[in-house]
Amino acid sequence: MLLGVDVGGTFTDAALVTGGRLHTAKAPTTPRDQSEGVMAAVASVLDDAGAAAGDVEHVAHGMTVATNALLEGKVARTALVATAGFTDLVELGRQARRELYRLCAAWPAPLVPVERRFGAAERTGPDGVLTELDELEELVGAVAGCEPEAVAVCLLHAYAHPRHERAIGDALRERLGDEVHVSLSHEVVGTFREFERAATTEVDAALSPLLAAYLRRLVDRARDEGLPAPTIMQSSGGLASLEEAAGHAALTVLSGPAGGAAAAALLSERCGEPDLLCFDMGGTSCDVCVVEGGAVRETAQREVGGRPQALPMVDIHTVGAGGGSIAWRDGGGALRVGPHSAGAEPGPACYGRGGNEPTVTDANLVLGHLDPGAPLAGDVELDAEAAHAAVGELADALGLERDDCAAGIVRVANNEMVRALRVMTVERGVDPRDFALLAFGGAGPLHAAAIADELGMRRLLVPRASGVLSALGLAAADRRRDRARTVLLHGGALTSEALAVEEGDAAYDVRYRGQSFELTIRDVEPDPGAVREVFEALHEERYGYRDPDGEIEVVTIRERRTEPGPDVEFEAQERGDVRGPTVVGLPEATLVVPEGWAGSTDETGTLVLERQG
Amino acid sequence: MSGLDPIALQVVAGGLRAGCEEMGAVLVRSAHSANIKERRDCSTALFDPAGEMVMQAEHIPVHLGAMPAAVAAVRDEDHAPDVAWILNDPYAGGTHLPDITVVTPVFAGDELLGFAASRAHHADVGGRVPGSMPADSTTLEEEGVVIAPRVLDDDALEELAGQMRQPAQRRADLRAQLAANRTGARRLVELAERLGVEPLREATAAVLDYAERRTRACLAELEDGEREAVDVLEAADGDLELRLRATVDGDALELDFEGSAEQHEGNLNCPLAVTVSACLFAVRVLTDPDIPASAGAHRPLTVRAPDGSLLNARSPAAVAAGNVETSSRVADLVLGAFGRALGQGTMNNVTLGTEDWTYYETLGGGQGACPEADGPSGVHVAMSNTLNTPVEALELEFPLRVVEYAVRRDSGGAGAHRGGDGVVRELEALEDVTFSLLTERRRHAPRGADGGADGASGRNVVAGDEVGSKASGTLRAGERLRIETPGGGGQGEP
Repeated sequence: MLLGVDVGGTFTDAALVTGGRLHTAKAPTTPRDQSEGVMAAVASVLDDAGAAAGDVEHVAHGMTVATNALLEGKVARTALVATAGFTDLVELGRQARRELYRLCAAWPAPLVPVERRFGAAERTGPDGVLTELDELEELVGAVAGCEPEAVAVCLLHAYAHPRHERAIGDALRERLGDEVHVSLSHEVVGTFREFERAATTEVDAALSPLLAAYLRRLVDRARDEGLPAPTIMQSSGGLASLEEAAGHAALTVLSGPAGGAAAAALLSERCGEPDLLCFDMGGTSCDVCVVEGGAVRETAQREVGGRPQALPMVDIHTVGAGGGSIAWRDGGGALRVGPHSAGAEPGPACYGRGGNEPTVTDANLVLGHLDPGAPLAGDVELDAEAAHAAVGELADALGLERDDCAAGIVRVANNEMVRALRVMTVERGVDPRDFALLAFGGAGPLHAAAIADELGMRRLLVPRASGVLSALGLAAADRRRDRARTVLLHGGALTSEALAVEEGDAAYDVRYRGQSFELTIRDVEPDPGAVREVFEALHEERYGYRDPDGEIEVVTIRERRTEPGPDVEFEAQERGDVRGPTVVGLPEATLVVPEGWAGSTDETGTLVLERQG
Repeated sequence: MSGLDPIALQVVAGGLRAGCEEMGAVLVRSAHSANIKERRDCSTALFDPAGEMVMQAEHIPVHLGAMPAAVAAVRDEDHAPDVAWILNDPYAGGTHLPDITVVTPVFAGDELLGFAASRAHHADVGGRVPGSMPADSTTLEEEGVVIAPRVLDDDALEELAGQMRQPAQRRADLRAQLAANRTGARRLVELAERLGVEPLREATAAVLDYAERRTRACLAELEDGEREAVDVLEAADGDLELRLRATVDGDALELDFEGSAEQHEGNLNCPLAVTVSACLFAVRVLTDPDIPASAGAHRPLTVRAPDGSLLNARSPAAVAAGNVETSSRVADLVLGAFGRALGQGTMNNVTLGTEDWTYYETLGGGQGACPEADGPSGVHVAMSNTLNTPVEALELEFPLRVVEYAVRRDSGGAGAHRGGDGVVRELEALEDVTFSLLTERRRHAPRGADGGADGASGRNVVAGDEVGSKASGTLRAGERLRIETPGGGGQGEP
């Protein structure tokens, strides 16, 4: 019996798979201590299945504890040790201002204030130590003096030469004891570019004490109920053991959305669709990711809350377009949607909780895409009159008929999502028309077909379990460990021996020497000739040319060890045909099928629709 | 409201914006030089057949208003599909020589739909010194290869790259610009296929009108009347005074630089396109940055600068520093006239190199405080917004060592809102290298506003000796170059 529990912004979803049957439950998310909502959802799903906690063999958990703490700045009291002369690295960032024309828009403040930054008397260069580490005792004493709960250590060129970081780490642990968390940049990240490595190490140190405390509470509660210790979803889309996650919180800053990506990978495999563009649209935002050749696309460089994180993460792009996004008229007389959202409170006008601004959900109700008689998730009764009034008021301001205005709201919202999907495809050199569109989340199926049309996509997948798909994805996800090290191999140093990894599979970040941007290649033999061929083919595909005279440089080796997740059986579903225009009610979601789209349900319960003609 | 309904307007504007952003992504990802890839010193835009800029991706503000001049320079040529044009002549559509613009006409069948254009700052375009940014040039020719508008085919590409340092890198970067333009062209053609050629024309006209309406709505909120500002540039042989009279009249704004210094012997001169760019930047800051970046937003604005002045120079005056430094001062004049505290007002251009390699960097500093917030520290403040080169990447690639890279504490001006702090960057040469410094605000500090204190002036120190704002020479192995960038002005009584 397999259990997946996913914590979202409003609801915590549980999915229990037993003998091919899927049981689901939702409980309100409990922001103060997410483990309460988790246990409530678990109790509810066990009850639904008539199962006992002791029957559960495997629990996988995705949560937003680390993400929320980072976004809200509620982090451990952290100190930073960096090479003397470079203690402001995180504050300086990449020196670009955050917004071009809002001159005082600030980047998030470093998690470590100036008075807790300490310079280490040492210098390491690209080829090794230049100046030996000195005054270690004084350094450790000064760090101890500021009574930190965690310490981040990031020295220049430690990705290749970590000797001084290790010495400082040992001395800190000895002086401060086990209670104080120490993160070393070469262990957390292992790649070059000091700002990104330092920022990631800082986040790792500042979040780990808090995440460890949460996981201890969760394990205690689970043990009391007779459940096994959960595995934890990482930002990479693979699961980590409890200890790994508690030791390196930076691995989990995208734990929540990564569950959706894991679900997309699962669906891809079960439906035999290797290439999927996926969008998960909820109340306030829409997450987009790409499955290529059956695997979720990853990135090793992205920002979370304005802080770069140099760790493998599912390549998810989020835009502020959800069911609760508010429509408005701007100073030039154009119709705009978002980024402001009515959220869950007061929610869209049609929730009847005091919201009176028109939202995307209100527009869908006006257009008849939502059934006013059917309650939404969380048993919200829809107030059609309130929706009509809110949309009507905006329509008057714009000089439009009400229904045209509603259609416009949906179209402009779709436009935002299309832009997000373009960022994830065309901006990365990929043609969306080679993909099928996978839509899930409470609002995804409402918009899916229109978005597919806009992008010229001809195949659309909507899983039956749209509403709790992320929890199901967790239950089936792989276990995974990643390790990256910058090696900068070229010329004679670029050999098969240097490229080999001890265990698992390797990916390589490769560039032509002189370039400052790398392409990551996978599924290639650790052989210089093979690496060159695969790299050049990818370079040509992405950028339209090869440079036959250019020298190849392998910048970083990324090692990945994977243990396949448990086999999840899907309950066989009755097959049925669908032909647009029609609206199909799914559990906790609604699918709009416009004219020109038709298809049927496959054995996994997924509706597979094709563009006709 | 003309032409399109409010919904179609957003859809077309979104499609054009997506096309421009995609062009930028292709350019940044396929170029070879750190300058384009790491620092993203480039811009991309789409134009209508009349050469009006329909949309620009948000990259570098200094390119904002200057791209239309490049398209105007080739608009009336005889265009054919897949025949792209190249230029960098500051007196024929360019700004300064390192900024090379590639313009590709876009056709649907045999009908001209418009132009896709990309501009990138190339790390070297030949001339007297590596990096093509001499601190002391007096004529354009010293600054590099001057490219009057010409067709960019394989032969031209080889010929031009051959006149520059690191020709392989130049070739790759120019190819990246061509690839970016092809991407933009494809998107424009797709829009035309979906909407039809004539509806697309109407739609782009509506997008321009829309940007104009929103800009006018913002200008109308400013109080009518005249405002004045005076500031200086620090030429090697003394200060050059610049003057502005800004007049708000209803929903229009006139910016007149009458009384500004004559063009000079050095290289702080600007072609008018650069002056216009800086004004557009400042106006965008003062109005609403969400207004689509198009020629429509420029219509309510008139910019005048006397012919032959520093801000509207005549050929063949040298211009290397005009684009990077004078442009910042023009933005300062406009922002200052409207009561804003000033930022560091310089990009702190540092070029190091030998005949074998060139390294160019610009450094952030203090932002001026805003009426509602402190100024950020250690950022690019105005016409530039490029990334730094990581210390580790720099040391891996060049015989240089970074000694210190830190926030210059307390260099920002005090105030109800504080100005941002500058940065300290100290480099050690590991072999003999030539250096060239093009900086400003070393003699005159960035001003505070409304009783806020001025920021600290910047400092340039070569081998222990303080030098002026423009300096060049040789740094011997083991010697150090230390730059302390200016702090921003404070806003309001502390």
